[in-house]
Amino acid sequence: MPQVVTVRVNRPDRRPLRFWVPVLPVALLLFPIVVLVVLAAIVACLVFRIGAVRALGAGWRVISALPGARFDIEQGRTAVLVAIR
Amino acid sequence: MTEQRKDILDMLAAGKITAEEAEQLIAALERDQAPAAAGLDARPKGKVKYLRVVVDATDNGEPSRVNVRVPLQLLRAGVRLAALVPPQALVKANASLSDSGVPIDLTQLKPEQLEALVEHLDDVTVEVDSPDATVRVFCE
Repeated sequence: MPQVVTVRVNRPDRRPLRFWVPVLPVALLLFPIVVLVVLAAIVACLVFRIGAVRALGAGWRVISALPGARFDIEQGRTAVLVAIR
Repeated sequence: MTEQRKDILDMLAAGKITAEEAEQLIAALERDQAPAAAGLDARPKGKVKYLRVVVDATDNGEPSRVNVRVPLQLLRAGVRLAALVPPQALVKANASLSDSGVPIDLTQLKPEQLEALVEHLDDVTVEVDSPDATVRVFCE
């Protein structure tokens, strides 16, 4: 499971912004929303006749596989980096 | 047929060696070739973990670069998630793809085929060069 998401934004003529987002504390903070999202996903699975357990398992697998992903976009002197660890 | 095997059969045909001698020579040849072939297969194949997409382009005179690194594990998980897409959604996606000039029938794509594709991605390198952009897709 991802532990930290690093976001870096470089802007021309400004100090670069850096954020380190700890995933677990943020997930705990957003727990009520996470529960609502899971419930909505279960309802969607029932509506579209998809195995809810399989769907949740596949979603969890996607989240678990996120560490190591890195997206780095630069244009001129502007750059955005998102790294998941 | 290898050159040596052909030589042995030529010698047999010319009567220079007997059938037993030819059989022994071919057996010896196969013994020599087997470890060499095994050596090629057992070549240390680096364990790749990530799919990288690197795009270098010039946009309005400004250099731009996109560098994406995606774990292959994420692709595998995505394939399993994609297997859950209901058929009616695939039909709509097919229609949209067809309208965009990409006539691909997604209903014919089986999860096993996609998994096999991801498994063999480590052998894939795609490089596209154009005057104002370079795209490279590879695994590392």
